[in-house]
Amino acid sequence: MRIIAAFQKNKEISYTSHLDVQRTLQRAFRRANLPLAYSKGFNPHPKLSFATALATGYTSDGEWFEVELDRPIEPQTFIDRVNPVLPDGMRVVEAFEADDGIDTLSKLIRAAHYELTVHFDAPVSEQQVQNAVRSIMGNEPVIVDKKTKSGVKPADIRPDILEASVKEVSDSSAILDVVGTLTAAGGLRAETFVRALFDRLHLNGFFTAHRISLCFEGSDRLPRLR
Amino acid sequence: MDAIALDKLMSRVEKPARYLGNEWNMTKKESYDFRFALCFPDVYEIGMSHQGSRILYHVLNSMDGVYCERCYAPWTDMERALTEAGEPLFTLETKSPLKDFDIVGFSLLYEMCYTNVLTMLKLSGIPFLASERDGSYPLIVAGGPCTVNPEPIAPFFDAILVGDGEDMEPEIVNCMRRARADGVSRTELLERLSAIEGVYVPSFYEPVFENGRYVRMERKNPLAPERVRRRVVRDLDKAPYVGRQLVPHMQIVHDRVAVEVMRGCTRGCRFCQAGYIYRPVRERKKETLLSQTRDLVRCTGYDEVSLLSLSTGDYSELHELLPRIIDDMAEQKVSVSLPSLRIDSLLKEDLEKMQTVRKGGLTFAPEAGTQRMRDVINKNVTEEDLLRAVTDAFTAGWCGVKLYFMIGLPTETDEDILGIADLARKVSACFYRLPKEQRGMGFRVTVSVSTFVPKPWTAFQWVGQNEQEEIRRKQQLLKTAMKGVRGGELHCHPSVLSVLEAVFSRGDRRLAPVLVDAFERGCRFDSWAEHFKPDAWAEAFAANGLTMDEYAYRERDPEEPLPWEIVDALTTVSYLKREWNRAKEARTTKDCREGCNGCFGERCEDYCRISKE
Repeated sequence: MRIIAAFQKNKEISYTSHLDVQRTLQRAFRRANLPLAYSKGFNPHPKLSFATALATGYTSDGEWFEVELDRPIEPQTFIDRVNPVLPDGMRVVEAFEADDGIDTLSKLIRAAHYELTVHFDAPVSEQQVQNAVRSIMGNEPVIVDKKTKSGVKPADIRPDILEASVKEVSDSSAILDVVGTLTAAGGLRAETFVRALFDRLHLNGFFTAHRISLCFEGSDRLPRLR
Repeated sequence: MDAIALDKLMSRVEKPARYLGNEWNMTKKESYDFRFALCFPDVYEIGMSHQGSRILYHVLNSMDGVYCERCYAPWTDMERALTEAGEPLFTLETKSPLKDFDIVGFSLLYEMCYTNVLTMLKLSGIPFLASERDGSYPLIVAGGPCTVNPEPIAPFFDAILVGDGEDMEPEIVNCMRRARADGVSRTELLERLSAIEGVYVPSFYEPVFENGRYVRMERKNPLAPERVRRRVVRDLDKAPYVGRQLVPHMQIVHDRVAVEVMRGCTRGCRFCQAGYIYRPVRERKKETLLSQTRDLVRCTGYDEVSLLSLSTGDYSELHELLPRIIDDMAEQKVSVSLPSLRIDSLLKEDLEKMQTVRKGGLTFAPEAGTQRMRDVINKNVTEEDLLRAVTDAFTAGWCGVKLYFMIGLPTETDEDILGIADLARKVSACFYRLPKEQRGMGFRVTVSVSTFVPKPWTAFQWVGQNEQEEIRRKQQLLKTAMKGVRGGELHCHPSVLSVLEAVFSRGDRRLAPVLVDAFERGCRFDSWAEHFKPDAWAEAFAANGLTMDEYAYRERDPEEPLPWEIVDALTTVSYLKREWNRAKEARTTKDCREGCNGCFGERCEDYCRISKE
């Protein structure tokens, strides 16, 4: 049986990596005494996979994963057994049994919706931030140094940005709402968007990111693109 | 610390999970009247692997009204971020600065972490020297194996705990609570602490030096004991264990359930400080271990269990315990690993059993290349033992083995060095002698060679370390000899670090200012090759009119007073002298399970069960 589920990742454990989260879930499943299906071979491990990774430091309202079980179990029972054994800051919020034939999550994912809180190293006005976002959302390429496996390269991130708007600006920080593409092949990275914003404002600083949702195609049970 | 300040710090470091806390099984407390900061002067992934800290975290948090939190040495990126932001170092549980605690306790496991203690104090705005701190500062204490020679770090601490901590730590907490209720002075608090067995209050003693040498310790407070006796937990079976072991988010060095099967070792290897300072041997009953293992696996979700001790193969009920634990755990897909198995105790059936779960690495420590040299160090392992054990392992499917050796041992000759390569060659031959269909592929015999460091409270505490040039010559000799060993691979540890280790392990109080000086010259994480600054250390010694050579290379006269004799480590100096003399004659001493060797002198009966059997 395959369970598809989503968890929240909150501030308390936001600074864990994707690998850390993977280990945390596996150990929680063992503490919950779930009938996990194991891979064959010398190092048997539970069959657990994720729609996508969440970058270290980000929080999220819904990170989707799938896990194989040897025996069927009610999705609600799954939630009730896992949540008490998850560390603070992590909670399963939704779970359902995967229909036969539904593709793996990493093939269905299309986009991600973020709330970015940017702290600039100097005060900014709402107008400045609005102008910068408008400039990014124009028709021109948005060239940013992008970290790839083979080093840092300039790249146009404009095609990856689907929506961007300013929610709030106060003193030296701004809250932005951004939707970017996200597939197994890649997509928008919040840090490159913020880089583009810094470039336009001639400022520096740091940011925190919250993923409001992931967006999928091909299943009614998964959140879709607006 | 406010959330944005923390985010800013976290955004600037490579591994923020080191400072995050909120791990599964972390203790949370709402109301408490006593705060203990359990500090480890190395990074999170090392400190979190330390079994002693796990025990103390559990023991202290089991106390009513006491909240014990953890703090690890910040990596250099976090140190920089904290300094630039002007923020203090903080604990993982409540993100509080160390200054807010009643006791700040450091675990000292190796000398090369001493500069990190200073980093942690500095980032907390706490003066280094106990003499510069008044009652408004927390009580700064230290414990751990390094404290059997507390002198090089003595001026930094208000009190130093020597020996097993699980009883001592609650006692110092209660002592301080009572002192506070009684409204006594700092000095009276220290006097009360010094009355606790195992507690050393350095400010009550003053070492005297004449002609550049330590001559005696002067006691400045008549209430302080003449010598500080190492504390021992008598009944390990009834002693508290780790309770609910913390499960870290990030991967740590020993990322598994650890069950301490026994403390102490009966073998009496003459170089091994742990072998001397954890005496007498104390075991847990196998039923206790089985239930502890089950509880720990259940409450952590770990899929690996390690049976911990200095020499797990010597555990008297091992062959009843091992099959039961392995069967028990195999059902839950939990693998069992046994660190520190001895060659002669390794049984073929155990190997085959372990393989059914998961095949770990295989490591043996013959320590020396010839039988004569092994007799000198009392490592009672023969070549036949080793070759039989590896042949068993190779037949069972293992195709790699790691061998640990030391060079620079007392009485060592070139023949002993060449013996190492010879032994590797014989191990290799054991593999290739097997028929092709019975052996695996890609054979490797890895020879790992470290430099001998003479340690206090061992039979070799008087020995002068080999000079660096000599060590390098011996390493080169071995490198050449290892050529042509089929599947052979040689790893030699750099010798510079061993010199500094030798200096601090047998150092005296004059080294404290050197440490401060080296810290100010940027020395941090000295056991990490990328941070070790030999030049800065050399300058720090020179600036204080001392030389490393004097501490590391000079052979001590057995009649010479030694600075660490302020501690009574239970093993008597006359026993150590006897062992040192036997070593020079290459005469071995029997395992004390075969009969008492009298290492505690007249106190044998009081402290050691074996002496009565």
